[in-house]
Amino acid sequence: MKTIQTEVPEQLYKKALALVKEGWFRDEKDVFSEAIRRFLDTHRPELMEKFIRDDVEWGLHGHD
Amino acid sequence: MIKSTLKIVCDSGPIIHLDELNCLHLLEDFQEVLIPDAVQKEIKRYRPLSLSKLSVPFVFSPGNISDNARLLTLCRVFSLDVGEIEALSLMEKNPQALFLTDDASARMVAEQMGFRVHGTIGILVRAIRRSQMEAREVLSLLKQIPSKTTLFIKRSLLDEITLKIKKEFNL
Repeated sequence: MKTIQTEVPEQLYKKALALVKEGWFRDEKDVFSEAIRRFLDTHRPELMEKFIRDDVEWGLHGHD
Repeated sequence: MIKSTLKIVCDSGPIIHLDELNCLHLLEDFQEVLIPDAVQKEIKRYRPLSLSKLSVPFVFSPGNISDNARLLTLCRVFSLDVGEIEALSLMEKNPQALFLTDDASARMVAEQMGFRVHGTIGILVRAIRRSQMEAREVLSLLKQIPSKTTLFIKRSLLDEITLKIKKEFNL
């Protein structure tokens, strides 16, 4: 495991703590790990490249 | 060229990025540019003057959230923000419209819902096809993306796009 130190907005931190208090996560570290994992899942480089290539194709050869 | 009959629903990213490139006028080609309430607020926070461009047919919509369970579940799974959820809800009411976003997660949800979706790069390249700009002008804008905008795009991909456009227009 890698330890990182970062700053997050107060509101965001409070929301993370609320999830912990409600019992959804063990602690706030788990909340932020899960958030990063989800972000990385949906921001895969090959997917973002595909979207941009689709845009270029539409831009050049689309019909509207 | 005759104005497109297409309506677009906007997320904040493309408006902000086009404004950073001083290219918001490219949206004048569309019938309507629908902006939901939360998106409007987000744009105003980052680019307060962008929505006052009168020549763009902005239509500001109340921030209604859809009651479509599938859409809402997808939005939650992909952790979309309120602006993206309002924009996708607006797409549900205007399924023939084009959804404009630069957010990968919002784009995935839109595609899952069967909506047509494109982003800032698409609008820039389209400007050549729609005779809004010369290919050379668009190439110059693409070059400015890393330094002038908050749109993240890999340098090698940007080079590949540039090469493709040069090849297409014999430049």
